[in-house]
Amino acid sequence: MRTLDWIVLLGTIGFIVIYGIWKTRGSKDIEGYLKGDNSMKWWTIGLSIMATQASAITFLSTPGQAYEDGMRFIQFYFGLPIAMVIISVTIIPIFYRLKVFTAYEFLENRFDLKTRSLAALLFLVQRGLAAGITIYAPAIILSTMLGWSLTITNLVIGVVVIVYTMSGGTKAVSVTQKQQMAVMMGGMIVAGIMVVSYLPDNVGFGDAVAVAGKLGKMNVVDFSWDWKTSWDDRYNFWSGITGGLFLALSYFGTDQSQVARYLGGKSIGESRLGLLFNGLLKIPMQFLILFIGVMVFVFYQFNQPPVFFNEAAKNKVYATAHADELRTLEGEYNTIFEQKQAAVHELVAAIKTDDEAAIVAAQTQVQTYTDAGKEVREQVKTVIKTATPDAETKDTDYVFISFVMKYLPAGLVGLLLAVIFSAAMSSTASELNALASTTVVDIYKRSVKSNGDPKHYLNASKLFTLAWGLIAILFATYASLLDNLIQAVNIIGSIFYGTILGIFLVAFYFKRIKGNAVFFAAILAELVVLYCFYFTEIAFLWFNVIGCVAVILFGFILQGLIGKKNEELVKA
Amino acid sequence: MKKNHPVDEEPPIDKPPFFKTWKGMYWLVLGNLAFMILLFYAITKLYE
Repeated sequence: MRTLDWIVLLGTIGFIVIYGIWKTRGSKDIEGYLKGDNSMKWWTIGLSIMATQASAITFLSTPGQAYEDGMRFIQFYFGLPIAMVIISVTIIPIFYRLKVFTAYEFLENRFDLKTRSLAALLFLVQRGLAAGITIYAPAIILSTMLGWSLTITNLVIGVVVIVYTMSGGTKAVSVTQKQQMAVMMGGMIVAGIMVVSYLPDNVGFGDAVAVAGKLGKMNVVDFSWDWKTSWDDRYNFWSGITGGLFLALSYFGTDQSQVARYLGGKSIGESRLGLLFNGLLKIPMQFLILFIGVMVFVFYQFNQPPVFFNEAAKNKVYATAHADELRTLEGEYNTIFEQKQAAVHELVAAIKTDDEAAIVAAQTQVQTYTDAGKEVREQVKTVIKTATPDAETKDTDYVFISFVMKYLPAGLVGLLLAVIFSAAMSSTASELNALASTTVVDIYKRSVKSNGDPKHYLNASKLFTLAWGLIAILFATYASLLDNLIQAVNIIGSIFYGTILGIFLVAFYFKRIKGNAVFFAAILAELVVLYCFYFTEIAFLWFNVIGCVAVILFGFILQGLIGKKNEELVKA
Repeated sequence: MKKNHPVDEEPPIDKPPFFKTWKGMYWLVLGNLAFMILLFYAITKLYE
């Protein structure tokens, strides 16, 4: 890192944090601390919602995903705008009418204390783990790329977030997220412009998109459906519009880290507009991030890519007995790239002249070299795993950051690192804020100490923010000791979201179903989801649909049985 | 809840911008989604 990069990185992060603390100083009660005195305007809510969802992994992994798999990941977000409309129409008015601090508070009003506590506890376990991962996942990549210690990187992200979240509560989270979102989008647009400008002189923007298309990366929408195979295809139109809808309904309608963002609105109208703003802009934003990944892919058609994007992991192998083996494979990979060059330029020339036969011939040739390169990369991964068994051989998360560090000029590297740190901080801040408010409102104030004064609950909220922050840092620090932790946490999220959404949908739309029925229906639905997870190949997005539908079905059946039993008791 | 608002602040939005009712805003979001899906489909077909 050069001096200018340090100045840009520290200046950007420092300004956002200090501005956030200064702007939101002096909350005197829990209303101000957890709901920002209901003073947030729609654009603050909208940006805050987007910044909460966009974690650092969004900016590190998504371009890498597009590099490997093309644009089709965008379909994952197709259900989101529909969910924003449904929440605006139905959920927001109910939350406002009941003046709730958390989503789970509403469940006691509708059902009973045990259902509220069950949903709050499920959220605390799931989000508590996720907060650690939100810090750990980018820290592991940033520490590798920057040569920092993992503990220091965890501490830098965690401590800074704790300071401003503890100080200003919900308002500080939303105010800082507005700035962080500006940095994130500005940084990504600059990165996109830079990667296109690095393409050879004879390759224009249109040619680059055409090359990406001919090499299978512009696969944005896939409407095809096969009853036998499409269920385990994670990203197609149908799983995006249905599974994605249920996931977005669960996340934005029942997850306190998002609910807190719009509960701080000045009015129902401001909260609605904030959510609809997200519904309008989320897909274009994800499209941009994926498209940058595709342009990085095109860039590496004309510039030698590393055989393995995690250079630090590769360098470790060079210090072992497998160094020669790796060196030979790297040489082979570079030779394949040189041979591919002629074919890539032929493809560009054929695209320019619109010669279909020449395009197909060049396309086939490029694909042959690409497949040969892939084969060598697989062998490299095997060597890395043999030489250093602890090493992670999935390197797609390193594609974008490795490009940034190697090719962007001084200052812009600092800006892009500020993007990633901002994203890590914005999602962690929302999580800590939501964990603290759920702990205080749904557990501490409701079941432990119900007679405290406003000052007491304000202090308790600050202390719980600190406590959850420390737990998150601790979890992030020791996360590497557990295998496949990130995957495990993602799966835990998918397993519980459907059931939680089912409880809320029953609460909103099925007035006949009461507390006992929904409580036991949720437990049964959870067992069904666990069965699907352990014994079937169904893609995780569908768990949200299955869990949700199962709660509703079991709720009806159990309510029927309980209702009959009650009638018999009354008759007896 | 609104007692903490300073009196000189802008009034909160209760009606959507550009439309007379919220229904218009909802159709804008859904229409935008439909437009994007069609656009993405066109891009997929154009560049495949």
